[in-house]
Amino acid sequence: MTNSFREFENNKLIFCIGTNMTEAHPVASYYVKRAVNKGATLIVADPRKHALADKASIFAQIKVGSDVAFLNGIMNVLITEDLYDKKFVEANCEDFEALKAKVLEYPPERASKIARVPADQIREIARTLAVNRPGALCYTLGITEHTCGKNNVMSTANLQMLLGNLGMEGGGVNPLRGQNNVQGACDMGALPNVFHGYQAVTDPAAREKFAKAWNVPSLPDKPGLMIPDMMAKLPSKEVRAFYIFGENLANTDPNIANVEHELSSAEFLVCNDIFMTETTRFAHVIFPSAAWCEDDGTFASSERRVNRVRKIKEPPGQAKPNWWIFKEIAKRMGHEWRSSSSREIWDKEVSPLAAPYTGIKYARIENDGLQWPCPSEEHPGTTFLHKDGKFTRGKGLFQAIEWTPPAEVEDEEYPFVLSTGRRLFHYHSRTQTGRAGMDQKLSEETADICPKDAARLGIANGEYIQVSSRRGSVRVKARVTDQIPLGMVWMAFHFREANANWLTNNVYDPQTKTAEYKACSCKIEKIA
Amino acid sequence: MDTTERGTRIQDLIGKYPQKESAVLPVLQLLQKEGGNYLSKEAMEVAARELGCSASRVYGVATYYSMFNTKPVGKYHLQVDTCVPGFLHGADDIAAHISKKLGIEPGETTKDGLFTLSKVQDLGSCATGPVVQVNDRYFENMTAEKTDQLLEALKNGGWPDNDTAMKVVSKCGILLNDRSRKDCRTLALYKKNGGYQALETALSMKPEAIVAEVKAAEVRGRGGAGFPAGTKWSFLPKDDPRPVYLICNADEGEPGTFKDRQIMEFNPHLLIEGIAISAQALNSAKAFIYIRGEFSWIADILETAIGEANQAGYLKHVDIVVHRGAGSYVCGDETAQIESLEGKRGNPRVKPPFPANSGLYGCPTVVNNVETLSSVPYIINNGAAGFKEIGVANNYGPKIFGVSGHVNQPGIFEYPMGTPLQEILEAAGGVKGNLKGVIVGGLSVPILTAEEAKGLNLDYDSCARAGTALGSGGIMVVNDTVSIPELALRTIEFYEHESCGQCAPCRKGTHTIKSKLRDLVMGRGKSDDIDLVLSLCKNIKGLTLCPTGEAFAAPVQAMVAKFRAEFEALVKR
Amino acid sequence: MSKNIFINGKGFSFEGEKTVLEVARENGIYIPSLCYHEKVGPANKCRVCVVEVDGMKDLQTSCSLAAADGMKVGTTTEKVLEAQRMVVNLLLSNGNHNCLSCEANGDCELQDAAYYLGIERPPFVIEEHKEREDSGAFILRDPEKCIQCGRCIEGCNRLVVNEVLDFGYRGGHTEVVWDNDMPLDDSNCVECGECVQMCPVGALIAKKGMGRARRWETKPVRTTCPYCGVGCQLDLHVKDDQIIRVTGTEGAQPNMGHLCVKGRFGYDFIYSDERLTTPLIRENDGFREASWDEALNLVAGKFTQIIEESGPDAIAGVSCARSINEDSYNMQKLFRSVIGTNNIDHCART
Repeated sequence: MTNSFREFENNKLIFCIGTNMTEAHPVASYYVKRAVNKGATLIVADPRKHALADKASIFAQIKVGSDVAFLNGIMNVLITEDLYDKKFVEANCEDFEALKAKVLEYPPERASKIARVPADQIREIARTLAVNRPGALCYTLGITEHTCGKNNVMSTANLQMLLGNLGMEGGGVNPLRGQNNVQGACDMGALPNVFHGYQAVTDPAAREKFAKAWNVPSLPDKPGLMIPDMMAKLPSKEVRAFYIFGENLANTDPNIANVEHELSSAEFLVCNDIFMTETTRFAHVIFPSAAWCEDDGTFASSERRVNRVRKIKEPPGQAKPNWWIFKEIAKRMGHEWRSSSSREIWDKEVSPLAAPYTGIKYARIENDGLQWPCPSEEHPGTTFLHKDGKFTRGKGLFQAIEWTPPAEVEDEEYPFVLSTGRRLFHYHSRTQTGRAGMDQKLSEETADICPKDAARLGIANGEYIQVSSRRGSVRVKARVTDQIPLGMVWMAFHFREANANWLTNNVYDPQTKTAEYKACSCKIEKIA
Repeated sequence: MDTTERGTRIQDLIGKYPQKESAVLPVLQLLQKEGGNYLSKEAMEVAARELGCSASRVYGVATYYSMFNTKPVGKYHLQVDTCVPGFLHGADDIAAHISKKLGIEPGETTKDGLFTLSKVQDLGSCATGPVVQVNDRYFENMTAEKTDQLLEALKNGGWPDNDTAMKVVSKCGILLNDRSRKDCRTLALYKKNGGYQALETALSMKPEAIVAEVKAAEVRGRGGAGFPAGTKWSFLPKDDPRPVYLICNADEGEPGTFKDRQIMEFNPHLLIEGIAISAQALNSAKAFIYIRGEFSWIADILETAIGEANQAGYLKHVDIVVHRGAGSYVCGDETAQIESLEGKRGNPRVKPPFPANSGLYGCPTVVNNVETLSSVPYIINNGAAGFKEIGVANNYGPKIFGVSGHVNQPGIFEYPMGTPLQEILEAAGGVKGNLKGVIVGGLSVPILTAEEAKGLNLDYDSCARAGTALGSGGIMVVNDTVSIPELALRTIEFYEHESCGQCAPCRKGTHTIKSKLRDLVMGRGKSDDIDLVLSLCKNIKGLTLCPTGEAFAAPVQAMVAKFRAEFEALVKR
Repeated sequence: MSKNIFINGKGFSFEGEKTVLEVARENGIYIPSLCYHEKVGPANKCRVCVVEVDGMKDLQTSCSLAAADGMKVGTTTEKVLEAQRMVVNLLLSNGNHNCLSCEANGDCELQDAAYYLGIERPPFVIEEHKEREDSGAFILRDPEKCIQCGRCIEGCNRLVVNEVLDFGYRGGHTEVVWDNDMPLDDSNCVECGECVQMCPVGALIAKKGMGRARRWETKPVRTTCPYCGVGCQLDLHVKDDQIIRVTGTEGAQPNMGHLCVKGRFGYDFIYSDERLTTPLIRENDGFREASWDEALNLVAGKFTQIIEESGPDAIAGVSCARSINEDSYNMQKLFRSVIGTNNIDHCART
């Protein structure tokens, strides 16, 4: 997030696209709802009419996968009606002409056809955005989990730059991160192209710095593989050993049948986990890990805030902290690492080796965490990025972006679009929530469909139906709800049985390798 | 009504208000009517959806107001007013008679689903008690014989006539008109008698000049508090961009009080003219008449009269909306009334901020009583000086007194402020039996013993000097056949029923005092209970969020203190 | 500009707009209060926080009374104490305020007020029975302990804006209702537990901690929620190695004490019997327990062998978006500096 959660409450305008905040980020949604109660304008764009839509002054029920066209349509109106922030664009952005040329190809009428919302609503949204500034844009996986995920993200940035909504409190592009420490895992360099603090592995200076710090002669200069490519190379043995730390890929990755085929062909699979999972079934070695509450450490939240996590108990049995496990493997491969606690790792390695965290030390985050960048120990942290329109690369670069449809679209055989996500009472594959009593609130998966489709197919609420895609088929309870638009099935992936990922399409954004969880085609049938 | 028609009607109701949620009461009233005098949970959910508010919000409102039947009732809901004036007029006998006749206890419904019997608190028909409200119709001056006729007629699907007879005397002839004329409510007659001339004068005056005149007239608020209306008006912020709202408080609900309805029911144009002038003075383009829900036919009369006035072009500058309450005494408090008008539970607000600065929808708001606003045309026509020729120093103008209880001719009396109590009692045919005590300002004021009442003049200052208050001018006369502990129990029962419940001393205090007084009346009380009641009353006075605490603590304390021997005599030995 | 008020004869300075209660609390002066909560402001309902102010006839509620320069306030005058005692006695006069079995014992604002006022037992009692409501998965409602302060309602409607709770009924019958006065589990309540955290007494209780520890036996440990990316701060109330209950850390960024159902009630997976407790090595169709040395040596040996045979890029790893930064840091360090590959990723974009 460029900005901070606490700002939301005092925002003038919040534009939520592809984010079901009341379920996936409930506490953030409190602030959005409070802002509305205080008079803020809320615009919600989503294929589903979820709870936040009820609070919105404008709700655009866009077609799954139409985001680029929809956003281009809005930008078309901003430019053709001369409503955008010319001063900001001239002073702080580049390639406006390219953007303009592209979005002029998306008049509201065309965007309307793709997004299936009225052209006048697109105009109304553009005009509302233009007069209520600054405004914050929030998104979640509704934007990213598409084959055009990166383009979706770029479009949201285009829009906010065009509106001059960056670099101040109350504005920003705010992706709400799904996991507690997905921000931190990125920050820590668990990515194939960067060391921690986003220092490129292709940068010789960075390599030299880390080689010295880690006491090795050299470091690899070629960016590594992303998850889908790693897994795709398992059957061919191009990747022979695979190490999975705490992820349950067999439930959470698209097309479970294929995932399991790949995992089962691994020559040597190592897992760190706190429980046996569907994924550890394929392991050759499983290390028992310390869980939350069993180790000191830090998480980095969506708002770039590094927060303390504390130990209250010993891990069960012989379970050990994960950092210790990695250190021990390194030792057995001939490398002695000095740091022997989370605090040492952070204070002596993470913090000094990356400028954004240099000012963050355990001693400073005993209470509230600090938001990076925090370059010195006197620095208060950064609540919003790009102050005064100063972007990391210098000027903000507009990108001319073409809309592309999802890889798989509805056809005669598979006439429904399947979209997936999370529900309030569970978290991912339920390894935790399923062992914390949350099944009392939600005990099985459902396929959410709209009343009209249900009536047409003679399906009653609560009835078991068959949902099938080209990749698989599940038996699941129908949940008939007017949150869902005509022609859509919506499911989550919390339960092994009826997991949406038996059906989802393992196709990926070409750059980010994010899977298209949000759109594939499927069919539904009554079970006789 | 099909769902589309219902939806349209709900939207029409919503359209009358600046904010959607204000329509909660009217929408629930519509849905209750549609549901056969029953408001189901399903109906409440419909309301919540249509009004865009939470289910609990609507449910909280529906269960707050006593006129919503959230449990099914019979086709005819017989509601006997057994509050103090009714009690003095023998309402208990009527309730017992119905009970016996139909074989049901209060709260029960006959097996055939035809009748439900309820005892209710104060219907505002004090001089014509006993009164029985059947659904939304009143039947006054009831006797056992008339009750039988009523039940018989209802069984046969008919409605008998209502006997509204009572003594009416207007010495001043300003607020009350000649109700014997069939056309007493018409614009034509009102105009013929000089009506709406004051409005025409006012429309040619500067608003500040109208305010100055009313201020100079020193007309004190007739709702009970006696605060000068002109001063209240002058508290409105100057040059404020927000709209100003004028609310006419017609939520006449204090037992013993039935004066405002005399103006609204028989002389509605006087009030409308008063509102129209005041709206002009206050630059208010939207006015509400908040009338208690039980007076539904009077609300209809007002709406008809507003329609006439509108058509005649008198209300070009102000839109007047008649808003029906739904059964809550506390909504007579101005801030509770504002909350209620915003579609909420009638919980009073903490002051400050005062309504003049932040009232309805957070905007500048003036709340004035019916009788106060109805005095405004006279002030404009005759000038402040003319108004001040009536009454006594610091207490000017005409006042409507209602007399109920033990007099020979209960009724309604318009006399100048400061008139001796004795003169009013004589006009009411004199005391029936031996006078034991008199409550001169509605149930919320301390009772005076016969001795204390001697020589009392009915104005704010004289009453205060006598240790009581003029209040609303609702006079209840109590003779020596009445047990004061029983009277005190009736009093606290009313307030316990009406307490909004938000503040602890009132919510729990009324409940505890009622319980202790009931123990005493039932002969199972202890001597300590008397002291406990006195101590509760003493501490509750001035401690509650709104004046309701004072309103029950002061009269109960007076009854116990002044007639302690009667309470002592009941203590279990 | 600094202003002064006098409380019980002693001067206290304060800055800006403050209420008398705020100034008193800042200076360690206890005034009993039940319905006031700093997150929702004065409610003026309980009337327990009254004080006597020079020049004002009636007692004033300190939660809503603006402190003014030169104001003289008494918090312990006989008039004040008598009124406070009466209100607390009234609140104790019905319901079931039995501290012996109450979960809130030791952390109850009604108990504190009664103790302060020297109330040993309620001087008068009016019997009335209300049923507990046990339908919620995580929240128990005990209306016999409810004092109608309305804090839960304010929390539900104004803070988390879930809009499920409100007052229903009137006067002495006033009760907190869920939707149309439904059982909690049938209502739209998502059990975020804001109401539990706001409750000054034991009327709303987190079930998971019931009967497991007195409030004074637990100590709070601040940590960060393990679920979504908001980073809510929470206090684990811990006895020995057990989490007894969880509350949102008041005043903390970013959540200011608010939590969701998972953050507040989803903590006990760490105690599951199914936790992995020893290293495991595949054997035939299953796994066998192994020592750390054996398992670590096996992995190190296999990695070394594959690096030798196929180069470091034949090894790939996925880090965890749920675990701490320090774990991810060490894992990528292992891959880059020890194995020699950049084949390290995690579910960064999903």
